[in-house]
Amino acid sequence: MSRNAEPVAPSALLASRRIVICLGCGGVGKTTVSAALALLGARLGRRVLVLTIDPARRLADALGLEAMGHEPRRIAPDVLARLGVPPEGELSAAMLDMKSTFDELVGRFARSDAERERILANPIYQHVSDALAGSAEYSAMEKVYQLAESKDLDLVVLDTPPAQHALDFLEAPERLLGFLESPLVRLMLHPAFAAGRTGFRLFQRGAARVLKVLERVSGLAFLEDVSEFLLAFEGMSEGFRERARSVEETLFGPQTAFVLAAGPGPQAAAQGAALLERLTASRASLAGLVVNRMRLWPGPGDGSAPAAISNDALAVLAAALGEAHGAVFPAQDAAAAALDLARGYASLVQRDAAAVEPLAGRVRKGGGFVRRIPEFDRDVHDLDGLAAIADRLAELA
Amino acid sequence: MSAAAALAGAPSGDLAPLLGRRLIIVTGKGGTGKTSVVAALGLAAARAGKRVLLAETGRDENLPRLLSRDGKRAGYGGRAYGAGLRSMRIDPYEALSEYLRLQIGVAPLVRGVVGNRGFRQLMDAAPGWRELITLGKVWHLQQQLAPGGGPLFDLLVVDAPATGHGLTFLDVPRVVQSAVRTGPLRRHAGAVEAMLEDPEATLLLPVALPEELPGRETAELVARVRGDIGIHVDRVVVNAVPAAPFPASVPDLDERLAALPAGLVLPGAPAPAALARCAAHLRSRYELAQEYLGKIAEWTGLPLVSLPWLPEGVRGEAELEALAGPLAPEVPR
Repeated sequence: MSRNAEPVAPSALLASRRIVICLGCGGVGKTTVSAALALLGARLGRRVLVLTIDPARRLADALGLEAMGHEPRRIAPDVLARLGVPPEGELSAAMLDMKSTFDELVGRFARSDAERERILANPIYQHVSDALAGSAEYSAMEKVYQLAESKDLDLVVLDTPPAQHALDFLEAPERLLGFLESPLVRLMLHPAFAAGRTGFRLFQRGAARVLKVLERVSGLAFLEDVSEFLLAFEGMSEGFRERARSVEETLFGPQTAFVLAAGPGPQAAAQGAALLERLTASRASLAGLVVNRMRLWPGPGDGSAPAAISNDALAVLAAALGEAHGAVFPAQDAAAAALDLARGYASLVQRDAAAVEPLAGRVRKGGGFVRRIPEFDRDVHDLDGLAAIADRLAELA
Repeated sequence: MSAAAALAGAPSGDLAPLLGRRLIIVTGKGGTGKTSVVAALGLAAARAGKRVLLAETGRDENLPRLLSRDGKRAGYGGRAYGAGLRSMRIDPYEALSEYLRLQIGVAPLVRGVVGNRGFRQLMDAAPGWRELITLGKVWHLQQQLAPGGGPLFDLLVVDAPATGHGLTFLDVPRVVQSAVRTGPLRRHAGAVEAMLEDPEATLLLPVALPEELPGRETAELVARVRGDIGIHVDRVVVNAVPAAPFPASVPDLDERLAALPAGLVLPGAPAPAALARCAAHLRSRYELAQEYLGKIAEWTGLPLVSLPWLPEGVRGEAELEALAGPLAPEVPR
């Protein structure tokens, strides 16, 4: 993506990429935006999977899948047809089970069944495999990579965990590699260490001192378990390393695009800006911004200057209400309340627009698209709601 | 008046005052306004004459911005805001250095270890210790005594990580004890767990919004807390609850507006149809919030404390006061 170039519209993006990763802070409706992006992809005739790594059942709700699991579940073709998906388009959804993805990885790279069993049974592995070295995030990347390689899919849309963790996730392959290659881990892998304390003392001073401190705090038994765990990993780490590198290449390659989801209001916009900052510093290329749940003016024009709603209309409105609803109707109160509400709503519209503008401006300047999704009367938990969002995403800027 | 409205503003009579605890762990999905609740509790506690410390656990500091305008950060050392109120950010690496210093007693050795690149790489990757050390620091703060005797802080309020990670956060002492067989680490994890599970002293305070997803997540949190994490929870805070949008005499204002003749021109105001849409939208959002207040009460089986929706968001003390009232009704304004 070159600076100041014409932004690639969401539809063009979803028609051409293999992986779209949706990033955003907590509470902005990222899962909903991801699902709507996926639906739009299916409408373009692609075979799309949306993958959430969030443990909550949000996406399952939105997609009407009762028990969304590790295995992708297809949404019925007749349902999709009703939502404007052509016959060649497909949409499925899956929730990532990070623990079993990581277990699968261990299974694939272990040199023997015995080694695999030894790792899976290690107490440290059992406790830490879902958190070690960002292995949760790494598992997600691995799964996306696997799925994107699949011949049965054209596009994978990934819903990431919120905020702070969202970017950990970009760094996951690198962190896992850094961990496996760190000198301290290598020292712990040294057979002398597993042999016990005597060997332990022979180590070079810096790292040995670190291990000594760890031992004093955590007890030797714990370090022995850790060492055994790492030893079990050593044999397979070469395959692992290679794999992590391919995953990383795909993640930052031309097949992948990142979309930032943000919320309305000053605080959410500020969080979005902070995320954008960190994203820009990474190698990820940002394709665009989706601002969810913005309050937009419901009438023609933007009509959103609260000061422009004067009380001059009060008498006319009260008279009209009185005429329509009879003498017992408190027309004066109703008219005053209606104008107050409109003023209040207009100032919210104005505030949302002003809060989002700096962020939107930066994204546009970087060549990204910006789409605003209105706050609907009801929240979006169903496919019709997703379709309404997909309509907005598909609009021309 | 609906059941939810009956609860609004004041928890029912048999709820113990929040500020009577020694430790309140505030948790909730991102975007629910957890940090504002923490700040409001801090203001109320300080006004009630308590010495209170607010602890943030996130990467960024937000409390100083809410509680003062001087732009001074709190950091690990903490900062004061008038009588009785302090805040700090528990940085896991600083807490780890402090812990190792206390355990080993040789400061240069600890500096060498924590500054070691290999150690950093290992710790960046290692799971669980951040949560444990953060809770360990909370435990340590709770043990500290004032120069004249008595605890240094009457009340600690922790702004815990957002729900998904909040559970890991609270579960770590238990996990550590099952992974580490002997030694000081196991003993310390035991002390932290005992602190969390003391129902007299410690309370988990979930913060939700009157919406589907935060509501469901709160229900899942409460179920898990009751299931395997033994921390006491006795109420749910529901933040940003909108007030009734129409005067009581016109409960169907939106429909009345929509029924006006299409050609009616209002001088200096939007067309009646736009007014009707605004009114209908605000009414739907209000009714939706009421619906979810009922559902959250039903899903969690807990009394709710509702906090008002504030059009300008929470910018400083004025808005925090509006939140402090319902949280601590016993404290006079």
